[in-house]
Parts: sequence; structure tokens; C-alpha cells
Amino acid sequence: MRLEHAIKPESSMSTLLWLRFRAFSAPIFLLTVWLLLIIATAIYRPDFISYQTLLAVVFTMSIVGVLAIGQALVTISGGFLDLSQPSCLIFASFVSVKLSEAGMPFIIVILGAIITGVIVGAINALIIVLARLNPIIVTLATNFIGLAVLFLLFRAAEVPIGSEIHTFGRAYFLGLPATWWPMLILIFIVGLLIHQTRYGRQTIAVGGNLYAAQTRGISLKKTRFLIFSIAGGFVGFAAILFCSASGPFNSASANILQLNVIAAVILAGISLEGGRGHLWMLFLSVGLLSTVPTSLVFFGLSSDAQAIFQGLILVLAVTFDGYRSRKITL
Amino acid sequence: MTNTAANSDNSKNFINTDRPWKEMLSGSVASITLTFVIVIALGLILVGPRFLSFSNVSIMGNYLIIPLVVGAFAGFALLSGVVDLSIGSMVGFSTALMALLLNQDWGIMSAGLVTLVFCMFFGGINAICIVGFGAGPIPTTLGMLTALRGITWLICGPSYSITAFNLKLFTIVNHRFLGIPSFFLVGLLLTLIITLIVSKSRVGRHIKAVGGDEQAAERAGISVKGVRVLALILSALGAGIGGIIMVAQITSATRMAGFGLEFEVYAALMIGGYSILRGGVGNPLGGALGILVVGALGNVIDLTASSSYYTNIIVGILLLSAVYLDRLRGGDSYD
Repeated sequence: MRLEHAIKPESSMSTLLWLRFRAFSAPIFLLTVWLLLIIATAIYRPDFISYQTLLAVVFTMSIVGVLAIGQALVTISGGFLDLSQPSCLIFASFVSVKLSEAGMPFIIVILGAIITGVIVGAINALIIVLARLNPIIVTLATNFIGLAVLFLLFRAAEVPIGSEIHTFGRAYFLGLPATWWPMLILIFIVGLLIHQTRYGRQTIAVGGNLYAAQTRGISLKKTRFLIFSIAGGFVGFAAILFCSASGPFNSASANILQLNVIAAVILAGISLEGGRGHLWMLFLSVGLLSTVPTSLVFFGLSSDAQAIFQGLILVLAVTFDGYRSRKITL
Repeated sequence: MTNTAANSDNSKNFINTDRPWKEMLSGSVASITLTFVIVIALGLILVGPRFLSFSNVSIMGNYLIIPLVVGAFAGFALLSGVVDLSIGSMVGFSTALMALLLNQDWGIMSAGLVTLVFCMFFGGINAICIVGFGAGPIPTTLGMLTALRGITWLICGPSYSITAFNLKLFTIVNHRFLGIPSFFLVGLLLTLIITLIVSKSRVGRHIKAVGGDEQAAERAGISVKGVRVLALILSALGAGIGGIIMVAQITSATRMAGFGLEFEVYAALMIGGYSILRGGVGNPLGGALGILVVGALGNVIDLTASSSYYTNIIVGILLLSAVYLDRLRGGDSYD
């Protein structure tokens, strides 16, 4: 039964063309939607095309983009979703604020944030791997606990004005915010590593076909532990971008980012079933999602309407993803 | 991720959950009953006899009405194997719409009906995406959660809240029977009725069958899609009712009404033996006990004057242990 479905009697030429088209259809689709959004807003309000708009979009992109790399790694390796990102981000931001208040050099502050993220990711991973529990429930619970602990820890924090991290958040490089470039480089490098190296492909294999990966001798526990820790490290680095550029933040400040990050991963074609998708696509999906709020402002819609649009985009993206795979996954 | 161990456990669960009372002593409800007794004992030790006084029970009862009703209906969706995270904002949307309609001199019945119809409409959109197109329930309803919050904000408008005092509604909801809010008793009664529906009726067995083993249910001639659509719409309906009760209780709608309620309710339901990732397990009695446990814990922490954020930490740890216990019994293994 299965075999008959798998091998369809199609002419090889048209199959090849179809595969070629499918490989490029997703980026073209995303790019088209992005361009249409920009053109539509520019026609309605010609002043949309400006340096200020570019800055606003690029600024939003950087934090969501780095968080999305972490989320995408978890998703592509079959870990479904990491819902603990908001608490992890705030925790790492808090650590970097404390470190820079203590007058540490910038590199130590960055390392401190990344290590904090890795530790939080490793705690999640330990619970997931040792107790053999589903990552969604584990990260839901640790986020719940983490946000409460953070609230008890501090009410509001802000990077000290004049510190290196504060200057970095307001610096520009080649006309664009300095926080944007690390995101771009990271998406490129991680995409290259995960699709071109042996370890990267093993990670994707674990997400795609668990049993096949196991019979090939890939250690599931080790892969999962590493992926969740590395994903935590990206959240830690995102914290540097987050706290350097934002003003005072509290324990709940990162909750709104969660939805955008998940939407970006799914829009990029990284299926929640795992093992499918390409990380470079994140650049397009994060770009599109970061343009939406700015363009809604130009259409004269309030921030209340932005929530509606963000929610609807996620619903549409998941529906499209589900329609492609026609299967209830979670 | 289902393996054979989980499947065999499902069939075991089918037999057990047909006798909810017996399961209180032996099955998955046993641990939550024990937890409930421990929390009550803890309350009596830490707070003293006033923990179980009429005034304190009625304060708890007043607070627990909404989670009980919302949780009872959300349980249908969990049992049928889909999870509806949008209930928190659905409660907020329902309060906002109800308050808006009452403010414009609508009658209670007509305003309530229109509100519930709108809630079921949004539940229907969830159902179309999840059941019709096969979208993942968690991200879909997470999107709906945000969209409905946005709609709530739009309805509340620039003043951030709508005042809607309706004496009749206020009297109904705040009616007391022997010093305890009648609606709390109604909530408990509703739980019992839903427990009976789930365990004894044909519809209930169909819902559990769909959640337990989709393919087997399909082969047995049960409409899997129909059951899931019904369950998602019921879950939205429950949240709608919860929102109307909230308007009656606090006589206004605010931007943040029902914010975070979904996590509170699902954490409590999972502590009570439901699973948000696997259908067919849990029972409404256990779910209600889970909500009572979380409510009582929060009350103990409030009365002993610590920050209410300690409740979240304890609830999170309880949640992890409950899921781990469920795994040891042969549930949801992730490997």
C-alpha cells in the first residue's frame, strides 16, 4: 500500500521540473509577498520608502532573527518548539546588565549572556532527555517557572548608559544598525553548517526519521542535548541585541517576541514535524514579519490591529504548512 | 511519536475511565485526589482552621468559577486529541463583547447569545484550520490567541475598559447558597454532568476514541473530523460562558481580562491527568480536582502573605512531576 503511493507513475522529466520548481517556489513566494507588501504600502503612502522605515524594519529583524535561528534548530531536529525562549532571553539580558554594571569588558558580557543561555538550554535538555518528556510541555513549564523566578529577582533593569553594550546598541555599520549584521552573518553561517556538514545533516536526520537515524548509530540523547544547549546559546546572544537596544525591561518584556519567532520559523517552511526546511529562508520570513508592523503604522492602524495581523499571519502560515503535509502533527 | 507501549496503555485507559469513581481510588485520578488532600491539609496547617471557613471557601469559589467552567469545556478538545490555547483571549473577547452589548442596552439573553455565537464562530475558524487543513493545533490556536487579544483591545477602545453594570446579571452570579457562591456549585455540578457524559454516553466514548486512536475510530465508523470540530467549538463556547460570568462578577471588561488564563487552566488540567499532546486520556473529574488544587495552593500562598509568583513556581514543578508520573504509567514518552 505504502509503496504504491510512494512511487507514482510519472514521467521523469516532469517530476524533475516539478521538484526544481518546488525547491524554489517557497523563497519566491515569500519574496513576492514581501515585495507586494512594500509596494502596496508605498502606493498608499509614498513616504514609506525612507531610511527611517529601513531602520525600523532592520531593527526588529535582528532580535527576532537570532531567536528564530535557535527556534529553527530545535524544530528542524524534531524538538517541536522551545517555548522557554522569553524567560531565557530575559534571564540572559539580566545577567549581561549585571555584568556591564560591574564594569566587565564587552566580550565578557557577551560570553556571560551566551553561557547563561546555554545553561538554561541545557537544563531544559536534561529534563527532556532524562525524563523522556515532550519538549513543548517541558519548556512550557520551565518558562512558567522562569518568568516567576525572574519577577521575584528584579522589577526592571536597563544597561548602564555609556557602557560598551549601550554604545553597541546605538552604533551603525555601513548605514545600518550594528545589531543587524550579527543576525545576517549567523543565519548564513548556521544555514551553511547545518546543511553542509556531517553533524548538521545528522541533526536534520534525527528530526526527519528518528528510527532511520538511530539505526545509523546517531545518538539521539547526545544530539538533542547539544541542540537544545546550542539553541539556548543563540537566545543568550539575542539577549545582547535585545538589552543593548531596548530601554528598561522587565520579566514580561519578551513575551510578545515568542509569536513572531514561531511564525517566522513556520513561514520559512521549517515544518513542525521536523527534518524539513532551510535555515536561509529565515532571512525572508523574518524580513516579511518585521515589515508588517511598520507598514501597518503607515496604513494608519493602531498597535491593537497589529496583534490581530500577527495572529492571523501565524494561523495562515500553519494552515498552509498543514495543507502541504496534510497531517495533524502536534 | 506513539509507540506500542503508549497504544497498549490507551486501551487500558478506555476500560478504566468508564468507571470514574473507581478510578478516583486507583487510576490517574488517584494521584490528583491525593494531591488535593495534601494541599487541603497543608492549608489547614499553614493557615489554620480559617482556611476552610465559609468566607474563605466562598472567596476561592468565586475565583474558581471561571477556570472550572472553561476547563470543563476545554477538556473536550483535549480528550479528542486537539488543544485549544486560544481560550484565554477568548474569555477576554467574550467579556469585551458582552460588556459592549450590555452597554448599548441589549437584554442579557440576546447579548449573551450573540457573544456565544461569536465565540463559537472563532472556535469554528480554529476547527477549519486544524481539522480541515491539518494545521498543528498548538501554533494555530497560539495565533488565534494573539488575534483575539487584538480584537479585544479594539473593542475596549482608547479608554482601555468598558463598564457594564447589569443588576440582574450581578444578582444572578453573586447569588449564594449556604454562604457559598451558587455558581461555584453549578460549576461543580457541570463537572459531574460532563464526567457522566464523557464516561457513560455514546458521544463521550466517541470523543475519547477519536483522541485515543484516530485510525481505529475511523474504522469503527466514527467521524473523526466531526468529533474534533464539535470539541473545538465546545471549547470556544466554554470560554465564552467564562467571559460572560466574568462580566457579571467584575461588572466591566478590561484589556487584560483572561490574560494568561490558558496556561493556568492547561497546567491545572495536566496536573489533573489530561494530556495536551495525546488525546483520550484524563477525565473531567481529575481536571476539576487539578483546578481546585491550583486554586487552593494560590489561596494558601496569598494567605501566608508571600508573593503570588511563588504559586507559579510550585504549579510549574507540579506540572512537570504530573507529566513525569503520567509517563511512568506508560503515557507520552518522547524518544
